[in-house]
Amino acid sequence: MDILMQLLMSGIALGMIYAVIAFGYQSTFATSGTLNFGQGEALMLGAMVGLSINGDVLGGPYTNYWLMIPLVLLFGALQGVVVEFIAVRPAIKSKSEFGWIMSTIALGIIFRNVAENIWGRDDMPFPSPLPTAPIHILDANVLPMELMVVVGALLMMLLVELFNRRSIYGKAVVATSSDRDAAGLMGINTGLVITFSYALSSMSAAFAGVLIAPITLTGASMGAVLGLKAFAVAIIGGLTSGLGVIVGGILLGIAETTTGFYLSTGYKDVPGLVLLLLVLAIKPSGLFGKTTIKKV
Amino acid sequence: MKAVRILGLLAIFVLLAILPRWIDNEYYVHQVVLIAIYAVLLFGLDIVVGYTGEVSLAHAGLFGIGAYAAGILNWKMGWPFYLAIPSSIFVTAAFGLLLALPALRVTGPYLAMVTLAFGTIAEILINEMDFLTNGPLGITIKKPALFGFILEEQHYYYVVVIVFLVAMLLVNRILKSHLGRAFEALRGSPVAADCMGVSVYRYKVFAFAISAGLAGLAGGMFTFNELYIAPNTFNFELTVLFLLALIMGGRKTRLGPVLGAAIVVLLPNVLNDIELFRYLAHIIAVGVALFVIRHVISGKRTFKPLVIPVVGAAALEWSAHKLQEMTDWRITIFGFLILFVVYYLQEGIIGWIRNVIGHYRPQWVGRALAIDKAGEGQVWAAPDHAVKKDGALLEARQILMQFGGLKALNQVDLAVTRGSIHGLIGPNGSGKSTMMNVLTGIYTPTEGSVVFNGSTISGDTPSAIALQGMARTFQNLQLFGEMTALENVLVGLHHTYKSNLADVMLNTPRYRREEAAARMRAASILRFVGLEAFMNEEARNLPYGRQRLLEIGRALGLNPALLLLDEPAAGLTSPEIKDLIEIIRKIREHGITVILIEHHMDVVMGISDVVSVLDFGQKISEGKPAAVQSDPKVIEAYLGGQAST
Amino acid sequence: MLEIHDLKAAYGQVQVLHGISLNVPQGQVVTLIGSNGAGKTTTMRAVSGMLKPSAGRIMLGSKDITGLPAHRIAKIGLAHSPEGRRVFPTQSVRDNLLLGAFTRLTLGGKRPRGDIQGDLEKALDLFPRLRERQHQLAGTLSGGEQQMLAMARALMLKPEVLLLDEPSMGLAPILVDEVFHIIGRLKEQGITMLLVEQFAAAALGVADYGYVMENGRIAVHGPATQLRNDPKVQAAYLGGSASH
Repeated sequence: MDILMQLLMSGIALGMIYAVIAFGYQSTFATSGTLNFGQGEALMLGAMVGLSINGDVLGGPYTNYWLMIPLVLLFGALQGVVVEFIAVRPAIKSKSEFGWIMSTIALGIIFRNVAENIWGRDDMPFPSPLPTAPIHILDANVLPMELMVVVGALLMMLLVELFNRRSIYGKAVVATSSDRDAAGLMGINTGLVITFSYALSSMSAAFAGVLIAPITLTGASMGAVLGLKAFAVAIIGGLTSGLGVIVGGILLGIAETTTGFYLSTGYKDVPGLVLLLLVLAIKPSGLFGKTTIKKV
Repeated sequence: MKAVRILGLLAIFVLLAILPRWIDNEYYVHQVVLIAIYAVLLFGLDIVVGYTGEVSLAHAGLFGIGAYAAGILNWKMGWPFYLAIPSSIFVTAAFGLLLALPALRVTGPYLAMVTLAFGTIAEILINEMDFLTNGPLGITIKKPALFGFILEEQHYYYVVVIVFLVAMLLVNRILKSHLGRAFEALRGSPVAADCMGVSVYRYKVFAFAISAGLAGLAGGMFTFNELYIAPNTFNFELTVLFLLALIMGGRKTRLGPVLGAAIVVLLPNVLNDIELFRYLAHIIAVGVALFVIRHVISGKRTFKPLVIPVVGAAALEWSAHKLQEMTDWRITIFGFLILFVVYYLQEGIIGWIRNVIGHYRPQWVGRALAIDKAGEGQVWAAPDHAVKKDGALLEARQILMQFGGLKALNQVDLAVTRGSIHGLIGPNGSGKSTMMNVLTGIYTPTEGSVVFNGSTISGDTPSAIALQGMARTFQNLQLFGEMTALENVLVGLHHTYKSNLADVMLNTPRYRREEAAARMRAASILRFVGLEAFMNEEARNLPYGRQRLLEIGRALGLNPALLLLDEPAAGLTSPEIKDLIEIIRKIREHGITVILIEHHMDVVMGISDVVSVLDFGQKISEGKPAAVQSDPKVIEAYLGGQAST
Repeated sequence: MLEIHDLKAAYGQVQVLHGISLNVPQGQVVTLIGSNGAGKTTTMRAVSGMLKPSAGRIMLGSKDITGLPAHRIAKIGLAHSPEGRRVFPTQSVRDNLLLGAFTRLTLGGKRPRGDIQGDLEKALDLFPRLRERQHQLAGTLSGGEQQMLAMARALMLKPEVLLLDEPSMGLAPILVDEVFHIIGRLKEQGITMLLVEQFAAAALGVADYGYVMENGRIAVHGPATQLRNDPKVQAAYLGGSASH
């Protein structure tokens, strides 16, 4: 078995999850120019709710794994609406960047603390719906779960892309992203589009939470670093470039699995964060984003 | 007034001196020390958050670096606290410089994420590098000692209080000086700061370094107060706590951080006492009820603003009764406090108090600066730019400015004669403002060169160009909104200061002399542009026309050889335009060359010596106003499809 | 069709409109001219809901649209081709046109659906340059083509009133002629229009009635033919006739 191949494969699986979270950042940034600093907590809540439905932590299991996923997605969407309504909408109205940064941070720590009080502070295992015996692909052992992660992530992004291209509502979302004022003139309710983008953003985070939970552990503090690393991916991919996040995610995923293997798992979060610092210090528009001309 | 201040200070000193004896409880003395330590950190955080206007989520990390620097030096090398703590200032300031590098490229949410990443890396590294930091086990050190005398909690209290007072004094001096104004200008408008010769690059780095240094100082003192430090202390929650303390206490004040630090240190004690918490919940509920009653009585029909306070108070009452203890919900409460401050108390408690006082006694809270009246009328400094007497003052040669496929300027030549007023006109989108930005260094031209006063300036930074004697105003006003008119002009006069950080901190005669001279000149300039009455008014509160004049005043502070005015008459009323023309004439009489972009044809044609016309990025005509006005090409550009009608 | 009474508007603290009253009768073209910064674009923005007016009343037909958000005004039947074109650069020409018909396509849209495909074809007939490029991204069009797209997109709403803000801005003279030619054809179709232009002569050539703005107020107004010979109008767009 080729160890490099192995690292590559797990890196890709991890990277796809980052891409899904990063996609959530892109979605809100495109429509409103804002980001949810509690994106990691949205992910954590998704995983926790999934665990409660499908596991036995809160008197469950209530239903099986496959029915749990749409419920988690629904929960994620609602959570996004709450974030948009409490933390973002008032700040957009008063044009206060400081306002939405601080209030999404505040909501993030509230969510985390509430989760700690509901589910406790300890990490819990998340049941995997698929057999845990690895499959051999290209000289590497790949867990069926990892395969599902890649397929699930791609499927979700494909669906969103189809929605944006094919339906008039999706076109309205894209139009709002490129020019909010002009979209309003077309009769598009841009406030609603922003709410929708937050629902989509938290939904993708919750989905990512359910996908990643069986690979890692589930706990109230699982989201923080994941949210930050996904932001690194969003930046590397460019906040305005759709496909960039997949490349950025895979890059980071591989960087992490190799660091974890060759250095120490304690350092595995470092490359992503350093990459974030470097990209922002050198090319803030990302590897795939366009540089904007500053107007005076 | 001065006597009151001295008495007040004296009272504070006495209070601080007797506090430990008065409290006489080691735990509470420890808490007071912690408040002072947090306050020192918050002074630094305020420089970044309050003055330069960025959100820093790195300060827990910086605090941790400071704490560990002192801890390691003491634990591994046996350095005493009076050497270890100063060292942690320098170590942390160095990390602050590192953090400033990305800060130069990005702002706002990006920078917030960068600082968050920095803080997280710091936490991870402290945790992982156990050969240096002893890893998750943490470091335990002995009580600090001074020449063999062991400092107990109440002794160490005096050390911290003295450091705290000195830090407060020095930070206050820095922020009230030209350096503080430079930080504040970065927030108001980075572009304008650069064009006033205040290098954004330099002062951002500076602000982060000072801020980090203070975090390091606080961290060092923290280590010797706690005597045990572990990595998980310096986590994200602590960072959020610092931000809460700062915005709740009040940004851009010295008292705000002290108050904020007291709140976040003491609040957990309140939460531990569930009875006290319930009591607080009742008070808040009564307060909200009164608010609702007043709202209903006043006959307002909109109930939307009531929803959140009522729901909030109800939820608080409910949780106060439901929960048996609050400690676990501490963070949630901090979160709600942040939301509350962000939406209802944006200026913080101190800011709110100031606003209330200002409502009744405006003179008590104003930002008026004392000005020596002796040297009035010093609008024009001796020309200190080595201005040559002959030839063109400014020569732009074959300027090509390309944005993607668009040629905003296409091979434009522009020569401006010394002492003239040079008009620049053209339809919208013809490249006038682009030309302005090329000349002042905001854009680097794709091709071509700009020669100013005998030296090539294309490629220089805006601040370097400004310091060579080129000043400008902005079409979309770029004033430093939260600074007074006088302070705006003082930023323009930044170049007159030779004083450095040490001068400011020690309040040396040199610094005092320079400050007095600058204030005198700023006041004279304001009188010249007719803004004497608005001297201590915040720029954003001035009427639009006055704001335009203030931009000219600020540019004059730079003592320019060349002044670029970008649509100075836009939005002005007819009498204001007359005053403006008069001012421009006077500026020219004092030997300052003027480039004037303007759409009001009567203004341009009335006072320009030469007029150039741009259309589609090309110069289509140039000459005396009368000749340009009758040029068929110009008429075509302005009238457009006239031929078709 | 569109009536504006004593409209006032401000950007922050800066009052830009000091009480504008004007009237666009059904089936007519009315133009609003004046120097830069006079408040023409601000008037348009206040009418279409991009900017909330601070006082005054705006009636579209029998409906009061004062202070409504832009998307609701669009649903009532006002289309605005904004200053600077503002096409959606990452979407195809065709998608841009469909978005123009958003209020007709969607459930809560309220505008009568009608024959959208047919209208799309009509729009492409009116602007043959767009037909050639209908699958291209709007961002790759030239300035003149983008202007045409912005106008065609606004027409897709089937509006009661069409606002055109500086359709000639930044265009080469030959394209300016073409744009005005098209405005003339729209007028023949009976479309009610409010046209803002800095090229006053051309605008007055196509309009029935004109208003001249100065410093946020209406300085002169009258039938277009009369305004063309008015010396004050000369002052508004080439300026300076008072001072020399």
